[in-house]
Amino acid sequence: MRHTFIIGRRVLAQLKGDTRFLVLSVIAPLIIIYFLKLLFDTFPPLVEVKSFTIPISAFIVHFLSFILCAILLVQERTRGTLERMMISGFSKTAIIGGYTLGYFGLATVQAITVLAESIWLFNLNYDTKTVVLLFMVIWLLAIVSVMLGIFISTFAKHEAQVFPFIPLIILPSVFLTGLVISPDGLPVWAQIIGKCLPLHYAVNIIHEIIKPEYKLTDTLVDFGILTGYIFGLLVLASLSLRETE
Amino acid sequence: MYIYFMNAIEIVNLSKNFGKIGALNRMSLDVPEGTIYGLVGPNGSGKTTLIKALVGSLRPNSGFAKVLGLDPLKDKWELRKQIGYMPQSPALYDDLSARDNILFFGKEQNVPDLHQKTDEILSFAELTNRADDAVRTFSGGMKKRVSLCCALVHNPKIIFLDEPTAALDPYLKMLFWILFRKLAQSGVTIFVSTHQMDEAMLCDKVTILRNGEILAVDTPRNILHRGKTKLKIFDNHEEKTAVIDSTSENLADELKKFGLEKNISSVELQPDTIEDIILSIIRKKEKEEKS
Repeated sequence: MRHTFIIGRRVLAQLKGDTRFLVLSVIAPLIIIYFLKLLFDTFPPLVEVKSFTIPISAFIVHFLSFILCAILLVQERTRGTLERMMISGFSKTAIIGGYTLGYFGLATVQAITVLAESIWLFNLNYDTKTVVLLFMVIWLLAIVSVMLGIFISTFAKHEAQVFPFIPLIILPSVFLTGLVISPDGLPVWAQIIGKCLPLHYAVNIIHEIIKPEYKLTDTLVDFGILTGYIFGLLVLASLSLRETE
Repeated sequence: MYIYFMNAIEIVNLSKNFGKIGALNRMSLDVPEGTIYGLVGPNGSGKTTLIKALVGSLRPNSGFAKVLGLDPLKDKWELRKQIGYMPQSPALYDDLSARDNILFFGKEQNVPDLHQKTDEILSFAELTNRADDAVRTFSGGMKKRVSLCCALVHNPKIIFLDEPTAALDPYLKMLFWILFRKLAQSGVTIFVSTHQMDEAMLCDKVTILRNGEILAVDTPRNILHRGKTKLKIFDNHEEKTAVIDSTSENLADELKKFGLEKNISSVELQPDTIEDIILSIIRKKEKEEKS
């Protein structure tokens, strides 16, 4: 555990040192949500935009956390620091744990700012319990995204090799998880693919939470699956992160 | 004169292939403890591959290696406490300061009085004034110095240095080699790769590599003896040239042929440098392969 904290502290110090990266990670989602508001304002009043707002905000955090974490870990490999860490005695588990811990802070800040802006811009009148639960979903999704980023990074030898994973993971997340189109109308194979993606469960939970008659028990399974993704991806990342060539 | 007690590294028939390319070809060698052991060879000769196999970052296809009596893969946790590794690229965190980079790698190794040790090592590397600046603002030479500090902070018994002086200015290069010698004198084994042939003279023992094969293993002095010396005699302003084997030992015999007469106005000696000799060994092997 000591090694995990050492790496976690180093990742945080590194993030603090890279002001541009830090500002972009927090400011970029806010700007995207602002433009989303401008776009939604052009829709006819009959369109119920409020049901899209929080899921899309969660998706933005999901996408950015995934891509930023994957690229930063690939950079560790190309710069030789990943190999150096391992030769210095840091284990794979400590590296993955440390990275998750480091991004834990960033994911929390992203989840809070994105949620706060969405509620404020779209005049969403949710009670405290709903806001806390929405925060938890976005935050959990951000942690899943970090894990996914770590896992995907093990397949890329340089930064450019991360980009083909964007259409592979992100596009199905947009169209097959219920983010913009209801999955009920999709063919069965598309529904199966959608159910393999973590965003599907996050969107499901969010849709339930914002219903007035929401009960926590309705989403326990989805919460469980989303948490399960964290542990599943942790195991996969540990298996795929190679110590030797 | 060096007295060797035991081997810090033992390599037996070590091979590593990347697809069809043989990076290491049944390589065997022993590295005595407390020496500066040089791996010399052109780019692509297998120097980095060998170092990576010894630090446990690369799995060989066959053969075995022992570092401080330990298997680099099976005993990696025990071994990694005792080795220092400086890769070819600086492998540092650009957004962290020099001090934070050293502290990060030192913390892993549980170095006692880490902060004091970091200050000492920064002072030695002449980086105290820039210790708290981000590494991204450093020149290539300064990054190399920080990288070396990271490899040394935990007082390793053996240090693997992959082309540590590449792209360094002559002054810094000299400082690095003075440090390597000091470390070796304190019992630390230095395993250093270089493609700068002149640096072979600064090692206690040298292995010349080409295409993953060992061409020669010897002391720099013995390698120098493999060279030839060109002797130019100016007799009444007429230039006569003779090539004598080895270095100055054969000079006396050669000069006797000329009798050192009054009309000999000047004698010039052009001994092969270690670079000439290493390159000739490599070229000889290339010719053998072509024929």
